Amino acid sequence: MKTLIRRLLPKLAAGLVMIWAVASFTFFLVHALPGNPGDAAYENYILAGMPPEQAQAKVASIYGFTSHDPLLAQYRGYIWRLLHGDLGQSISYSGVPVTHVLRAAAPWTIFPALAGLIIAFLVGTSGGALAAVKRSSRWGGVLSMSGSFFAGIPAFVLALVLAFLFHTEWNLLPYGDTSDVTLTPGFNGPYIASVIQHAVLPVATYALLAYGGWLLTMKSSVISVLGDDFILAAELRGLHPRTRMRYVSRNAILPMFTMFALSIGYLLGGSVLVENVFDYPGLGNVLFQAIGARDYPLMSGAFLLITVAIVLANIVADLLYTVIDPRVRR
Amino acid sequence: MTTLRVLTRRPGRVIGLLILLLFALMAVAGPSLYSGTLAVDPNAIYSSPSSQHWLGTDFAGSDVLQEIVVGARYVLETAALSALFTAVIGTAVGLVAGYHRGPADSALMRLTDFVLTIPGLPLLIVLSTIWSFGQPYEMAIALGVTGWGGVARAVRSQTLSLRERGFLEAARGLGLSSRHVIVRELLPNLAPFVAMNMLLAVIAFMGAEVALFFLGVVPFSSSNWGVMLNQAVFSGGAMDSPAALSYLLAPLVCILLITIGIVLFLDAVDELFNPRLRERP
Repeated sequence: MKTLIRRLLPKLAAGLVMIWAVASFTFFLVHALPGNPGDAAYENYILAGMPPEQAQAKVASIYGFTSHDPLLAQYRGYIWRLLHGDLGQSISYSGVPVTHVLRAAAPWTIFPALAGLIIAFLVGTSGGALAAVKRSSRWGGVLSMSGSFFAGIPAFVLALVLAFLFHTEWNLLPYGDTSDVTLTPGFNGPYIASVIQHAVLPVATYALLAYGGWLLTMKSSVISVLGDDFILAAELRGLHPRTRMRYVSRNAILPMFTMFALSIGYLLGGSVLVENVFDYPGLGNVLFQAIGARDYPLMSGAFLLITVAIVLANIVADLLYTVIDPRVRR
Repeated sequence: MTTLRVLTRRPGRVIGLLILLLFALMAVAGPSLYSGTLAVDPNAIYSSPSSQHWLGTDFAGSDVLQEIVVGARYVLETAALSALFTAVIGTAVGLVAGYHRGPADSALMRLTDFVLTIPGLPLLIVLSTIWSFGQPYEMAIALGVTGWGGVARAVRSQTLSLRERGFLEAARGLGLSSRHVIVRELLPNLAPFVAMNMLLAVIAFMGAEVALFFLGVVPFSSSNWGVMLNQAVFSGGAMDSPAALSYLLAPLVCILLITIGIVLFLDAVDELFNPRLRERP
């Protein structure tokens, strides 16, 4: 337990530093924007006949800072609000707090990405093990080739191809939004069925995107474990191939946990494209729409939340790794 | 000799190389093949493939094949340049961290973790609000600076294992300068590995760059594959109408072909540099 904490604390600290750095980055980014949107908004309120104090307060509630204080004071105020979970107000959803917009969008990114990740993990690691064992046969070659292919293919190309084939060409699956708009959201059969139907394409895209990485990593991991002495010993003892394979897979699966963090970062980053192609209202889409609408508070918030999710995933992956592999704990 | 044998062992590898050569040729010679601006023909909007327009025409009646060929240079130049940037930054950081270890190592690895954790594409999209990426090299710098983390980490672990080998101990024992050891002894051993990473980076950066144009967050300075995709999907209605189909599919197929080409070719490179992977006779 003690070693676990000692291992986890630096990671947590690094994660916090990371989040702080990204928050600062978005703060200075909004300042570097041409025509300083905060100033522009302030001038608009003044022109509309608002007293300066009130205009300043309004700008502050939107952006989290006003450009009339010294930079350091603005920055302190911004971080202070951030610590209280206040990300400012959205401009395009006039007056709605950014946190509300993000809270509504987050599940539509997290659950499909997670589902895709789990499917990719199951298929990819078993495929990787198979590709390693059969690496000199034709099928082994084809399997690893498929891994490299899907690891390389750009997210939006895959999404477009899937949307084109399954929606436009064969008309098998719906596309756009999270469910049929005519259904009432709630815990009823048709609605849930519709949500699942609409989620198939995004989930499949995430799964295929992550599949390649899992397959290739598992393959090289299995190949290196296959060369270990204890596997040779198992072979010489005449153990059943299935038992031997269990030995191999248990040891080969360990490095996969570092892949987990990379994989989730990749998927969340790719969500901008996947959700854009499928018109799915998740975080990536919010980020994209915010940039289109020049809604900078929402943009910073979405970017920050995506980063926080990745940092958290990193920490969880590390924790799992420590729990599963006793050698790390020593 | 071995190179040729490894390359021709599987026909796929030769095909991969041929695909890559074709696109390289397209990028180099394309713009001079079709001079001037794209021809616009209002009488042939969204025409289907014919002997005159092999891949049909787009919304303005321009030849799709011509657009693909002319657009190849920006896309491939940017991808190649950014792959070069990541390789240089990643190798330098990984080498220094892995060879000198100590405080330099931990500082550089913190930085690498940071670069790896920040989601690349969202960052580029956010950056596009203040930076318009007009020239290929500007885009390449942005891509290169955000994408070197993986290479640095991999080069570091390779360096860590290489530096304990006999030949490096011998070089250090002879009192050779660390510059000599790094440049003459370590780097040649890392080169194949870095080259493979560079090829993979070309795919990744091609995807990221075309994605930025596809999303439309980067101003369109010239026609390229990403701009074509953006117009096909968002203004051409290619997902719903069959008329704009070839306009949508042409850039997609090009990207897929390059991905396949690099993957097939990498298979040969992999075997060439990792004798352990070579099939037993």
